[in-house]
Amino acid sequence: VTETLAALAAGFGVALAPINLLWGFVGVTLGTAIGVLPGVGPALTVAMLLPLTNRLDPTGALIMFAGIYYGAMYGGSTTTILLNTPGESASIATALEGNKMAKRGRAGPALATAAIGSFVAGTIATVLLTLLAPVVVEVALKFGPAEYFALMVFAFVTVAAVLGASTVRGLSMLFLGLLFGLVGIDDQTGQMRFAFGIPELMDGIDVVVLAVGLFAVGEALYVAAYQSRMREELERVSGSLWMSREDWRRSWPAWLRATAIGFPFGTIPAGGAEIPTFLSYAMEKKLSKHPHEFGHGAIEGVAGPEAANNASSTGVLVPLLTLGIPTSATAAILLAAFQSYGLQPGPLLFQTQSSLVWGLIASMYVGNALLLILNLPLIGVWVQVLKIPRAPLYAGILLFATLGAYSLHQSVVDLVTLYAFGVLGFVMRRWGFPVAPAVIGLILGPLAESQFRRALAISQGDPSVFITHPISAALFLLTAIVLLGPLVARAVRRRRGG
Amino acid sequence: MPDRPVRRRAELVLSLGVLALGIAAAVVAWRLPEAGGDARIGPNFMPRIVAGGLIVMGLWLLAEVATGGWREPVNDDAAARGEHAFDLRAFAWVSAGLFAQMALIRHAGFVIAAMALFGCVSRGFGSTRPLRDAALGALLGLAVYLFFVKFLNVSLPPGWLAPLLGGAGL
Repeated sequence: VTETLAALAAGFGVALAPINLLWGFVGVTLGTAIGVLPGVGPALTVAMLLPLTNRLDPTGALIMFAGIYYGAMYGGSTTTILLNTPGESASIATALEGNKMAKRGRAGPALATAAIGSFVAGTIATVLLTLLAPVVVEVALKFGPAEYFALMVFAFVTVAAVLGASTVRGLSMLFLGLLFGLVGIDDQTGQMRFAFGIPELMDGIDVVVLAVGLFAVGEALYVAAYQSRMREELERVSGSLWMSREDWRRSWPAWLRATAIGFPFGTIPAGGAEIPTFLSYAMEKKLSKHPHEFGHGAIEGVAGPEAANNASSTGVLVPLLTLGIPTSATAAILLAAFQSYGLQPGPLLFQTQSSLVWGLIASMYVGNALLLILNLPLIGVWVQVLKIPRAPLYAGILLFATLGAYSLHQSVVDLVTLYAFGVLGFVMRRWGFPVAPAVIGLILGPLAESQFRRALAISQGDPSVFITHPISAALFLLTAIVLLGPLVARAVRRRRGG
Repeated sequence: MPDRPVRRRAELVLSLGVLALGIAAAVVAWRLPEAGGDARIGPNFMPRIVAGGLIVMGLWLLAEVATGGWREPVNDDAAARGEHAFDLRAFAWVSAGLFAQMALIRHAGFVIAAMALFGCVSRGFGSTRPLRDAALGALLGLAVYLFFVKFLNVSLPPGWLAPLLGGAGL
């Protein structure tokens, strides 16, 4: 623990250096502003900025990206409460009560409990991350290629098969992402795969083009086709922003309970914040002394899910930083950001780039505090951002999306690919295919392949390494349970049901 | 009223698409060489697994179509999703903006391409003031151009405006 504290103290030295503080400030401000915009999430923001920040120093750039990551969540809750269009599945629970509160003229306290709850949950979760990361790193240092491969397969299956409505559609997108990841030169043998002699494909499909195509172009096409003629109702922020004594009394237990739910869910590869936010909502509803208020604007129903959302998003950084395993689309993009600087997150990064990693973790304490200061006083600004009409908003989003893709290689081919992924994203959204497995497959697929081949090279081609190593065997068993469990349960239920 | 035949056809086409992609990937994968060099597992191993996975998923999706349609589908009723029916014109305008940008960015330059993109996309989202949108696009494009080229050193094509942008002494 003392070692951790020393490392963290050194990290604060990095995070509080004026230039990094500035990048952190830029990140959280940009993240909030962009998170407020309906239809733009943290994954898209970081993906768009990735090609443009190549020349920055990695510490500063990653601190900025981390700021965008949780800034966007703060911004997203504002949109959810005032506009009732949850931008992501993790915000649906907030929308249930938050928008009702806003309709009853209690937008201020709803925004306040979301912001303060996010700060409390984010800070506690960062403390937990600080304490947990070195422990996981200790364990992970003992991992060989077989264990890593098993872990990646586990992450693939939970993200693709368990989350989302349909197992088969999730797995389809996983395999599609893996196929995209295979395109280009095989770095172990130099063999060209799935490139068909097209020079632009030899370097592989860039995650920026895929993510920006699916998220930005796909979203713009979808919203144009299905929502452009719908009217939006923006709730006014009237009255005091401050929470009453009663609001505080009802909020803080919800924040703490939600943190306890959210953080562990984030750390396991259960991809994102959807499950913990709903669990928190259900729990608050059950424990509340005012159950009749639920559905009409109960403050616990905002405080809990928002805190759970933030805590789980911080939890997601545990497997990302310590093992190099992304468990959400945003984490996959963050991993790509590390890779663009030639850094591979994982236990070794804690040793070789200690000041970068701990600087990043320290910047999260700073960023959460910055966000609390920024968010509530500037609520008027964010409301103005929300008032931007759809036409210039989406035209602007597409301008920046194409800018990011074009500046990769100065190539029109990337713009064509971007549009193709946009149409793919449109089809996926309309017919219920999840995006996260495709993005994670593209990023994590090549890493999984190289771990797989390394494991077999070490065992001299004996595939039993994956089941004779206890950790690997346990992970494969767990994967099988997670994958087959629901199918078996459904079959049993059907048989019983006659 | 949700249209059952349309849904069935779309599900069938998409299922066949996944299957076809898997078969195409398998054809490519089986032509890749076996293990090369010291590596025991060749570059053709993962492609085979992935192709096999896509084929299995395609068949699974087809099986769902054959047994009453995909499970847990997205609601077909646009109104129930809080949306309106598919608007082809809006979709086409947004696409047109992106195509115009592809066509223009090389020769006409980033700023003019941005103007065309902005104008078309705004039109797709129901704006009825094309001149204002184009002007907004040109202005935003110019600001972005100057910021990225002069400040971030990202190179973007100046195109027809090269004399103007270069001559500004920036």
